Amino acid sequence: MSMSFAGETAIVGIGATEFSKCSGRSTLRLAVECSDAAIQDAGLLPEQIDGMVLFTVEDNHEIDVARSLGIKELKHFSRIHHSGGAACGTIHQAAMAVHSGACDYCLVFRAFNERSEMRYGAGVQDRAPAPTPMEVDFGWSSPFGLLTPAAWVAMFATRYMHEYGATSEDFGRVAVACRRHAANNPAAFFYQKPITLEEHQQSRWIVKPLHLFDCCQESDGGQAMVVTTLERARDLPQPTAVIAAAAQGSGEDQQMMKSYYRDNISGIPEMGLCARQLWEDSGLRPDDIQTAVLYDHFTPLVLPQLEEFGFCPRGEAKNFILDGNIELGGRLPINTHGGQLGEAYIHGVNGIAEGVRQVRGSSVNQVKDMQNVLVTAATAVPTSALILSRDAH
Amino acid sequence: MVDADKTSLVARLRASIGVAGRPFVARDAVNQPMIRHWCDAMADHNPVYTDPDFATKSAHGGIVAPPAMLNAWTMSGLGRPQSDSDDAAGSVYAALDEAGYTSVVATNSEHEYLRYLRPGDELTAVQVVSEVSDEKTTALGTGLFVTTRTEYRTQADELVGHMLFRILKFKPGTGRAAQPDSEEAQPAQRMRRPRPGISRDTRFFWDGLEAGELRIQRCEGCSALHHPPMVRCPACGSYDLGYQVSTGRGVVYSFVEPCHPRIPAFDYPYVVGLIELEEGTRLITNVVDIDPDKVEVGMPVELTMQKPDPELTLPMFRPRCPRRRETTLRFEEVAVGAELAPCPIPISRTLIVAAAIASRDYQDVHHDPALAVERGSPDIFMNILTTSGLCARYVSDWAGPDALLRKLSIRLGAPNYPGDTMTMWGSVLSATNQGGRGQVELALRGYNHIGDHVTGTVELELPSGGGEK
Repeated sequence: MSMSFAGETAIVGIGATEFSKCSGRSTLRLAVECSDAAIQDAGLLPEQIDGMVLFTVEDNHEIDVARSLGIKELKHFSRIHHSGGAACGTIHQAAMAVHSGACDYCLVFRAFNERSEMRYGAGVQDRAPAPTPMEVDFGWSSPFGLLTPAAWVAMFATRYMHEYGATSEDFGRVAVACRRHAANNPAAFFYQKPITLEEHQQSRWIVKPLHLFDCCQESDGGQAMVVTTLERARDLPQPTAVIAAAAQGSGEDQQMMKSYYRDNISGIPEMGLCARQLWEDSGLRPDDIQTAVLYDHFTPLVLPQLEEFGFCPRGEAKNFILDGNIELGGRLPINTHGGQLGEAYIHGVNGIAEGVRQVRGSSVNQVKDMQNVLVTAATAVPTSALILSRDAH
Repeated sequence: MVDADKTSLVARLRASIGVAGRPFVARDAVNQPMIRHWCDAMADHNPVYTDPDFATKSAHGGIVAPPAMLNAWTMSGLGRPQSDSDDAAGSVYAALDEAGYTSVVATNSEHEYLRYLRPGDELTAVQVVSEVSDEKTTALGTGLFVTTRTEYRTQADELVGHMLFRILKFKPGTGRAAQPDSEEAQPAQRMRRPRPGISRDTRFFWDGLEAGELRIQRCEGCSALHHPPMVRCPACGSYDLGYQVSTGRGVVYSFVEPCHPRIPAFDYPYVVGLIELEEGTRLITNVVDIDPDKVEVGMPVELTMQKPDPELTLPMFRPRCPRRRETTLRFEEVAVGAELAPCPIPISRTLIVAAAIASRDYQDVHHDPALAVERGSPDIFMNILTTSGLCARYVSDWAGPDALLRKLSIRLGAPNYPGDTMTMWGSVLSATNQGGRGQVELALRGYNHIGDHVTGTVELELPSGGGEK
């Protein structure tokens, strides 16, 4: 059964701070700045915002952001769990909230000083053990030195390589494509800094089999957007980015970053669950998608995402990539803003903004005849995904 | 000692080069009890050394001695000097002792086996000094290398083997470890590994480790196994959850090698493996006692309980030693470049002492910790004959009972101290068929946690042609 809000809501405003290695400002300031920009981009006033959906891991409080922005009353506020897996989940939740009437204009943002203040890449270190679910979970991996997101993802990568014969160069081609796209994007960390496959291969090891260039660059910054109903969206100034479908997914025997205990660990069942829902709710097929923003904190898990959404058969993503399909001019250019590998790591929310720009026709790497764009959230965690479409109206 | 004195010492020593020593007649003929002690100490279970029925039907036609025992037969025994001071080699060693180079360590051994020895063979050894080096500064201390060549003949004057042997005679207390300012002398207070978070539901697992058991949660209702543990069996709905003890055998399902950022609690390099136990569940662990570059998906591994610090016991996994071949490898089955499966050998105090005695090597550094320390070593360490024996065992376990070792050349590096593990590894360097005899050359390496204990080569002969592939 398709979800009732499918195709009935839209993203009407986007706004971001600059992306940097050191913002020099508080995360609250970043949150307010990007939200302010998104609200202005939507042609709205702060007092019209009456809902807010954030990541559970977002440090800023809704009420603090509301005070500084001049948002007066909030009728809906909720949070989505599981780190980067929440990215599209926030839009999913906001769409349900505005479609149900819980609120009219719902703000979504993610802002952090993930580079200059609190780096996830530093890994799990020196935690005092306590019997909390999180510490019990880390107990199965941290004492053995499996401590960083890169290491958690690398475990999947080794197995995927073993089963399908993929190589480090196949992962490298994802990085090369993203960096090439970022090279055209003035907002990107790696603006005008493309890399070659050889440079990827020669970059230092982070966690074998992952090189430095298989890993996104940790970033400071904020990205916000505003969601409302399709009906209201049509009265606003920007071209409408219709939320054709949005979905969350958590698979069987799901673990945080370490779902290593399933019969098979070379696919991403929770992403497959999102894919099934998106295709059913939107009525679209892989052939209807012109470009995609596939979550790329690390390159290896981009490959099974292509497979889970049916852009190529299982195990064949390496050939799909080798054939240039993910590059500009290819069958499915991915991460046209540069992805998190090339633009910035804003927990995937910057990828949703790129989806909006593709629908509006304002991307720096605009794909021709753009109708529908797929955006995914983090891999290896309970996740989410969405499809944005041009308004046929 | 001033340079001129050193020069005159070396010149004096070199006068002995090429002079044949007095023949040394073995005290005992080649015999089964000594062979058995050797095989027990080395854990060499090749039946051609101890099982008369098997040996009779083998290529040897009867019991033979492990070839690496070659120089064990002519060791002098406890309380008897290995060579007389008026003998060529003996006079060199005596002169070095007198000059203060009183400590000794063997560094190279090259055995050539013309035929395997049989019980009843009475060996006579004739040793010649072939080389005396200049004074060298080594990690162990300041000293000189002395190389000898020895010929072994039977009572029928049949030449059965050669040995080239090199030792370092050095001054105790002059090595790197003995220097008070060296880095090893001041161990930094090190960060400990992260502790596990333990809940009521998972305590059985961690308690098991303290008891030496790797426990897997088992549903008492339907016997389903779960890891990480659950609180209710999703298969049958039971809350009655117990555990079973794993056999500790499994295979590497996936693995990674963290490189950056470096966490002070860990020694680099290290490997984190995802192990699939033979019971079917998986767990995250460390794969140890193996060069990280040699870890592979599918590699058989076995449990080894480790204590990274006194308050933490963790289940880790190391390569499972390959099984000894019971039928001999045929030459046609050997591919150049192929690698032998790694085999970790725990270096216990018992192994070091038992094997030293089985090889009739009574040097105190191989059995007496206090005297070993006095001579500049942190503890007792493995003697070179044991290393030869373990190399020969590794190769013969790989090749099978009828393989003939022809040459075993080894060079020693990092000592094997008690508590360490030496992992044997080998690869096929060449394989040539000469007149129906398959000649195979292997590279060998045995590494411990300090570095390469032994590197070398071995030549062996394998049956060729005729047999089924």
